[in-house]
Amino acid sequence: MRGRSLALPLVRILLRIARPASREARAATFFTGGAAVLAGSVLADSATEHYRGSFRNPAMVLPLLSASASLIINGGGGSFSRKTADVVHVAAGAVGLGGLGFHAWNVGRQTGGYRLGNLLYKAPLGAPGALVLTGLLGAIAGALRESRAGAVVPRLVTGRAAGAVVAFGLAGTVAEAGLLHFRGAFHNPAMWLPVSIPPLTALSLARDVARAIPSPATPYLLAMTATLGLAGAAFHAWGVSRNMGGWRNWRQNLLAGPPIPAPPSFTGLAIAGFGALLLLKGRTHG
Amino acid sequence: MADRYAHYDVLDKRDTPSWNDKTRQVIDARMSLREADAGIGEARLATLRRLVSRIAPQPERHAPANTVALLAHKIVKDEGEGFRPATLPRLRECWLRGLDAIEAEAQARHGRAFAGLDAERADALLRGIEAGETQASDWIALPARDFWNWRVIPDIVSMHWSHPSLWSAMGFGGPASPRGYVRLDVNRRDPWEAEEHGDG
Amino acid sequence: MAEDDADIRCAGGRAPDPLVPGGWLEMREYGEEPVDFVIVGTGAGGAPLAARLAEAGFSVVAMDAGPFWRPLEDFASDESHQSKLFWTDDRIVDGDDPIVLGSNNSGKSVGGSTVHFAMVSLRFRPDHFRSRSLLGYGADWPIDWREMWDYYREVERVLHISGPVSYPWGPKRPRYPLRAHPLNAAADYLARGAEALGIDWAETPIATLSAPIGKAHPCVYRGFCVTGCSTNAKQSALVTWIPRALRAGAEVRDRAMVGRIETGPNGLATGVHYHRGGQWRFQRARAVIVAGYAIETPRLLLASATADQPDGLANSSGLVGRNLMIQLNQAAWGQVDDEVRSYKGPPSLAVSEHWNYRDEGKDYHGGWSYMSQGPLPVTWAKTLAGGRGLWGRELLDEMERANHSVGLKMVGEALPNAANRVTLADETDQYGLRIPRVTHSYSDNERAMMRHATRFMEDSLKATGARETWREMGDTCHLGGTARMGFDRTTSVVDADCRSWDVPNLWICDGSVFPTVGGVNPSLTIQAIACRTADRIVAMSRQGAL
Ligand SMILES: Cc1cc2nc3c(=O)[nH]c(=O)nc-3n(C[C@H](O)[C@H](O)[C@H](O)COP(=O)(O)OP(=O)(O)OC[C@H]3O[C@@H](n4cnc5c(N)ncnc54)[C@H](O)[C@@H]3O)c2cc1C
Ligand code: SF4
Repeated sequence: MRGRSLALPLVRILLRIARPASREARAATFFTGGAAVLAGSVLADSATEHYRGSFRNPAMVLPLLSASASLIINGGGGSFSRKTADVVHVAAGAVGLGGLGFHAWNVGRQTGGYRLGNLLYKAPLGAPGALVLTGLLGAIAGALRESRAGAVVPRLVTGRAAGAVVAFGLAGTVAEAGLLHFRGAFHNPAMWLPVSIPPLTALSLARDVARAIPSPATPYLLAMTATLGLAGAAFHAWGVSRNMGGWRNWRQNLLAGPPIPAPPSFTGLAIAGFGALLLLKGRTHG
Repeated sequence: MADRYAHYDVLDKRDTPSWNDKTRQVIDARMSLREADAGIGEARLATLRRLVSRIAPQPERHAPANTVALLAHKIVKDEGEGFRPATLPRLRECWLRGLDAIEAEAQARHGRAFAGLDAERADALLRGIEAGETQASDWIALPARDFWNWRVIPDIVSMHWSHPSLWSAMGFGGPASPRGYVRLDVNRRDPWEAEEHGDG
Repeated sequence: MAEDDADIRCAGGRAPDPLVPGGWLEMREYGEEPVDFVIVGTGAGGAPLAARLAEAGFSVVAMDAGPFWRPLEDFASDESHQSKLFWTDDRIVDGDDPIVLGSNNSGKSVGGSTVHFAMVSLRFRPDHFRSRSLLGYGADWPIDWREMWDYYREVERVLHISGPVSYPWGPKRPRYPLRAHPLNAAADYLARGAEALGIDWAETPIATLSAPIGKAHPCVYRGFCVTGCSTNAKQSALVTWIPRALRAGAEVRDRAMVGRIETGPNGLATGVHYHRGGQWRFQRARAVIVAGYAIETPRLLLASATADQPDGLANSSGLVGRNLMIQLNQAAWGQVDDEVRSYKGPPSLAVSEHWNYRDEGKDYHGGWSYMSQGPLPVTWAKTLAGGRGLWGRELLDEMERANHSVGLKMVGEALPNAANRVTLADETDQYGLRIPRVTHSYSDNERAMMRHATRFMEDSLKATGARETWREMGDTCHLGGTARMGFDRTTSVVDADCRSWDVPNLWICDGSVFPTVGGVNPSLTIQAIACRTADRIVAMSRQGAL
């Protein structure tokens, strides 16, 4: 299921890019694609994690619903009305923010409060953050499409703003990966990759945003980050198999092993990063 | 007490990742042991049965455990943890003499077999042994309290609670390898753990 | 076809690979030609020595009376069956407070008691190495704590200890190699109690993996740790030091029971008589290291008496077998509304060492720590039956509330007392060897510590809302002290290097060399001493001082 959710938007993006369109339109496609991948990642991740939590709080289904909707809207490539899409994006942002608050509150009331042990093992802060990003990326795409249609859109979605969102998202995701890989004591050298490549990418993009000029290194870094997200999922799948009982013991190991759906959020953000670069380029050339 | 785990049976997990081959093998072997095969003699077996039924009753809603058979085999095989207080002989001898002493105690007190005593009398007699207040002369060479504390209680209790029925009755997860547990927090359980019902 | 549990497995140039079902490791064999070292016992003391000495180029044969397991295929998830890990040969216990052995105290396996230990891996409080001079009780160790600190570090790395990033007590220590495990509910109760009482607590530094390492899986929180870890997450000597020893060229002989150390006319050890495969054999050696733990070590020394050393080998001080120390293992238990299900996870995931580091407010000498608990059914039934005198219906009913029971257990420092000792009984065992008699009584100091600790732990439970609390007063754990190390030959059996004063080529390196036991579980310290001894042997050999 996850395989398809990833493949569809990617194919669409390739098709769209192949045919000539306005810069905004092409950028929008990147953002939609990125949002779709991110939504897929959030959906699968929150499904497993909240299943671990036995859905003991009814609100724990919200991220699943919200991410599913985002996946459909973004994956559907503009076949929904702007209004519907906006509702979905806003909902993602709201559910994500709510989740962030709830997780933070939840960690705080554990024994010992915000001690490291609770940050490592209790409700993660990064996960709802990814849902907020999903909403943001989707909304950016929507606004870009609007501008294409020639409506009076405040030039809110500048390349710089979009780039900043992606850079910030990457930084947050790096923090989450760093925390969890620290929990695993970086026992495999590959665990250093997501805390070395994506931070460079985020920095490079942030510099581009600051200077309002894309640097030649950024696309390479974005490509590496996107690849890393997919490789990460594969690494994690292998990690699950290394746990006691391997895949036969999947009911334990999918939860106890490294989270397979988490790394592709890097991919989603990196795809959106290409969109931001396009916009930045547009600015310099136009 | 209401049985909180009436619908739970650890044996249902026998063919899941919670059990490995070795576990299946040793539990199967344990559950198939029978009293008669142990060969400690009918009279002693009768005493042992009554003793076990008083110390370690069967759970209400789960299959009875073959505790007597497990203990009888342990006695015959002289299979202890090795250490013993200076006042007691090795496990087998200790148990055989102890069973005879319990029987003698019943005869001394009531003029009838321990196996035939009603619950109240049997328990009163056992409390006497527990407190070291006994009448039969057998206890001179086998201190009743030591026998109680180092053999009767630990041996019966460890045989009884090594049977899956007792694990089910207490809501214990039972064997757990290769699969262990994921949800460790207060009031959380994995789907393969016992769900608690009743008076909570 | 799986091998039988009773088979000798180390033979024909190979030994089992404990990390691979049916796997083998190549093993060098020395026959009965003289080797540099024969080591008796492959537990916390013997295994690191075997590895480190073999790595230093010595020829080493390490013998253990117990079998060589492959936990992945040999271990059942079953308390009863796993008693095959325990030392169950005959022993007599007496004294005013005879101690419970077997599952409670000593193992018989390649890997020793670490195969079924609870993995708690704490360092001594530095002052406890000099309790006589600094705190006015017990005895000083002839080793400086700073040196021990370095060896602790080495052992923590080898065992991949997972522990908290910052440890609340004692001098700053380097970060543990792996992150702490999540707390289970039982540990959370300890933490909440400690917070309520205003003292520090920590995730327990523990020798089970929180991340995969090599061929070993991370912990699956199955909770059967004290009956052996079939996951191999537990970093026992069997899965850490022993494979290392084999790779470095040591030979391990499983199911080899050493009955006597032979000495020559010059009083030096010449080798050991051992029973294996149904017959007595003799292994010649240039030096003998005894690492059989605090009962079997003195038993072997006492049984190796000669005309010249009639009171037992290395026993001119008369201290072999004396000053046996247990550690206090009293507990407080209670009932809570929450489902605790303490059978999940390693039993002791949270710890407080508060009373190891605080001396004020005590009417006794010594320190203690306490940990959360996770008793399995048989252990719990025995605890209730023994500790509260429950049987019959009452016991059954109480057992059915086990998932709501929560407890805290201490590891408390017992003081050395010459009257607590190991001697030889007249009775003999299956090998025809005289069996040990273990005599133990509590002193008033220990009773005072128990009172304080159980009251404190009970308060902690009550502070978390536990009801029907009760104190378990009977239990003991861990042994030490029957061949103590010290500063001179009249007041100790071995020197700081674990070398016996009387027989220069006889070394003793296990829990029995402890002059005091401190308020923490001993295995990390035993392994640290073993590493130090290995370094000392290498250094002395370079200087020609062997
Ligand atoms: C249930 C339990 C839980 C424990 N939990 C902890 C814990 O959490 N943390 C901690 O630090 N410690 C713990 N311990 C204690 C720890 O395991 C021991 O203190 C430590 O292993 C002792 O090391 P040792 O080398 O002295 O002896 P052992 O590790 O016991 O090794 C001795 C070995 O020598 C062998 N042997 C003895 N005599 C002979 C002979 N004559 N010939 C051949 N072989 C012989 C034995 O078979 C055995 O394998 C626990 C112990 C038990 C039993
Ligand atoms: S809880 Fe962990 S260490 Fe203990 S037996 Fe299970 S896997 Fe091994």
